[in-house]
Amino acid sequence: MDLALQVVVTGLAAGGVYGLVAIGHALVFRLTGTIYLALGDLIGLGVFTTLLVAAGTGPVTQTNVETGRYLFALGIGVLVCVAAGAGGYALVVQPFLDRRSTLGWVGATLALAFAIHAVIESVFPRSAYVFPDPIPFRRIGEGGFVTIGGASVAVRAVYVAAVAFVLAGLVAWAIDRTRMGRGLQAIAADPEGALVVGVPLSRLVPLAFGLAGAVAALAAVTAAPSAPVSAETGTLLGVKGLAAALAVRFGPPLYAFAAGALLGLAEAAIANLHVGDFELGPAYSQVIPLALVLVLLAASPPAEALEEVE
Amino acid sequence: MSAIATTGGALREAARDARRSWTPAAWSAVAGVGLAALVPFVLPGSVRVDGLAETGYLALAAVGLGFAVGIGGMPSIVQGAFVGVGAVCAAHLVGSGWPGPLAALVGAAAAALGGIAVGMAVVRFRPVYVAAATWITTWLFALGLDAFPRLSGGSRGLVVPPEWSTTLHYELALALVAAAMLAHRTLARSSFGLTLRASAERPAAAAALGAEAARLRLRAFAGAAAVGGLAGGFAVQLLGVADPSSYGPWLSFQLLVAVLVGGGTTALGPTVGVLVLGGLSLVAELFGRMTGSETARFGPMLAALLLLAVLTLGGDGLVPAAARRLRWRGTRPEIATAVTPFGGGSLAARGLGKRFGGLVALDALELDARPGRVVALIGPNGSGKTTALRLLAGTLDADAGEVRLDGADVTVEPTTQRVRRGLVRTIQSNAVFPHLTALENATVGASLRRRYGGALRTLLATPKARREARVVRARALDALRIVGLTERANELAESLTSAEQRLLMVASALATEPRVLLLDEPSAGAAPQDLDRLTGVLQGLTEKGLAIVVVEHNLRLVRSIAEDVVVLDAGKRLAAGAPDDIAADTAVRAAYFGRPR
Repeated sequence: MDLALQVVVTGLAAGGVYGLVAIGHALVFRLTGTIYLALGDLIGLGVFTTLLVAAGTGPVTQTNVETGRYLFALGIGVLVCVAAGAGGYALVVQPFLDRRSTLGWVGATLALAFAIHAVIESVFPRSAYVFPDPIPFRRIGEGGFVTIGGASVAVRAVYVAAVAFVLAGLVAWAIDRTRMGRGLQAIAADPEGALVVGVPLSRLVPLAFGLAGAVAALAAVTAAPSAPVSAETGTLLGVKGLAAALAVRFGPPLYAFAAGALLGLAEAAIANLHVGDFELGPAYSQVIPLALVLVLLAASPPAEALEEVE
Repeated sequence: MSAIATTGGALREAARDARRSWTPAAWSAVAGVGLAALVPFVLPGSVRVDGLAETGYLALAAVGLGFAVGIGGMPSIVQGAFVGVGAVCAAHLVGSGWPGPLAALVGAAAAALGGIAVGMAVVRFRPVYVAAATWITTWLFALGLDAFPRLSGGSRGLVVPPEWSTTLHYELALALVAAAMLAHRTLARSSFGLTLRASAERPAAAAALGAEAARLRLRAFAGAAAVGGLAGGFAVQLLGVADPSSYGPWLSFQLLVAVLVGGGTTALGPTVGVLVLGGLSLVAELFGRMTGSETARFGPMLAALLLLAVLTLGGDGLVPAAARRLRWRGTRPEIATAVTPFGGGSLAARGLGKRFGGLVALDALELDARPGRVVALIGPNGSGKTTALRLLAGTLDADAGEVRLDGADVTVEPTTQRVRRGLVRTIQSNAVFPHLTALENATVGASLRRRYGGALRTLLATPKARREARVVRARALDALRIVGLTERANELAESLTSAEQRLLMVASALATEPRVLLLDEPSAGAAPQDLDRLTGVLQGLTEKGLAIVVVEHNLRLVRSIAEDVVVLDAGKRLAAGAPDDIAADTAVRAAYFGRPR
């Protein structure tokens, strides 16, 4: 029982971030019918831009950045993410959508992903970096852990999960209630109709691509101090978010978020839980959930996905 | 004795076929491979043969992927993982004493199994899902190798003692690449390959002709995986180590870049792409040495930029672009000989109905099509005409009623089965396969009845497969002759006029040897002189005994070809009878022109 609470908290902290990435993937898919394979690396770009502005490329300890500079860095990171996401859309998605070339956007978004990855790795060549943490969690409880009912829970993980859930709620609210959100819904339902009734398609879609990355990057930056980060951190987030979005067939934002949260929970459970003497252990924690998503896809009826206009 | 004589005869026939299809291009391919084989012996000492051999194995994996991507239309981003499966498998086997070639073959088989597993998940879906699922699989494999060091050898990898010289590896890689390119070319032009391409270009139109896209795609996907596994199985014996980190997303990306840059629709494209990438990494190395920086980081950057450049310039790859510039055209069309006397069938709809949610699209349709006669379905837009054709053809499942073909109940049979029975439909939009020639378009239809022309038999060029290929070709040519497109046989379908494209759709349908033909607005976009041509073609078909059901807006065409007319309005049968009676019917006039007040 004590372990279960720990698993839930760490699982939701990781899964919350996956969930936000999944929302981004689902949104992009519903708007354009494409997959932004560069989304993960765009998130990585946001994280490392924040790190660059906050602490440079040198060694960082978790505490040596002042709050003001951290917030400034975070702002720059998010802005870069929005700009790169929107610019990426104009460069590697839209031209190929216009030409109806699936191979085109698949190749081009992947190329963008690897290009961003290469840039990050050339500025941050070491295999892992410590990310500054503006909030002194380690002063709470025993070195950042509190004991609840026999379970020792990382306060930082609770905080990350809470931030992710709040962000997901905000995104769902914005899509449902704001003018921009309704415009996006209209585009997803019928792009040509949306254009006719005056939805500024050419502005909203790139902006959505940018925001999809930025929101996820915000969560990723929040989570980043919990473990060392590398250029691969963002890429992996992108892949897991994609898996979660695929599991719900790129459905509504909250579904995608729930799938991401479940993915995180599954990882934590597989890594830590044991039933009697049987336990799978950390080696299986990343592999099994991804494999399950593929099995789910294989078992699902294709009718809806194969739907095609004659 | 007789067995020997039969075999001898078959071999002589094979030799004759080979001689007949031998072209100057074949000579230049042989010369190219021969020259490439000499490379290790004439190279200056500074160029390393092992690098060339490695490039060769990479090209092998790329040619395999090229077929799945270029012909199968599947944006697969997982070929690197299949290379890895082959490599890891072969490394383990060689480590426990297996002979190298056998180990590589088992690696290829293991990769093929992996390909079937992944393929089962993705082939039924649209390309966007293929991209998503294969990308996830690539990471699944990379994370798996990372998580299970006992399987992958951990960070040191699995060591394989090298057995052969690098020159031997180079010659082997060259031979395998040449064989793979030959297979790519052979399959791409076969019934199997053309149907695959058609399904990628216009899925609905291919399905209406009875193509079973998912089955064909699964074979292509698994075949590509097997070739990748073979490449990995041999490459690991050249390199001496299976390094788990080298079978990750980067390898899959590189292979996809090679295919897209070179052009996967052609046999030569992927190899050219790999060579270009190889040249690029040499440039990166030089640049790195000059500036004194680490070279490894320029590789991904340059590959990404190259791909972006090629894609943005609108290319389907360097080789297809070069081929267009050089205007490689097919040979002159052969003279078609009539092969299929058409017989007519009879089709009946009894109480056929379909609703979409609360909307009744079609309600209790009664319809009879008889040999040598044309039934026209007319009615305002949205009256359920196309729905009726889809129900008859099996594209949609009926909610009520039944469809009978020659008395047999086919209501629940899938499209493919109905097409085999002789019931075929052309679809409403202009849905030729644009990047296939007119003859190839018709071949897709003619391929429906193939039995011996599957991928494996085509590759082995068995006597039955070759005989069947001749029959398929003759049937396709005959279909073109019937609609009067023989002269355009070797033109790309996209270069035909829109009226010719409609006729080509009819030809593809005719090539399936139908007895009942369902035509959805054959006159759409036709000019007056085209209408006469179309009328002539359709009348010719009824003279051969075909039964035709036609959905048509052009009432002049209807009156000149149809014996029976069924009028639909809001899903209901409003009237039925001879064209002249229908024209005089006040209810019909009201439906079309509104009721007089």
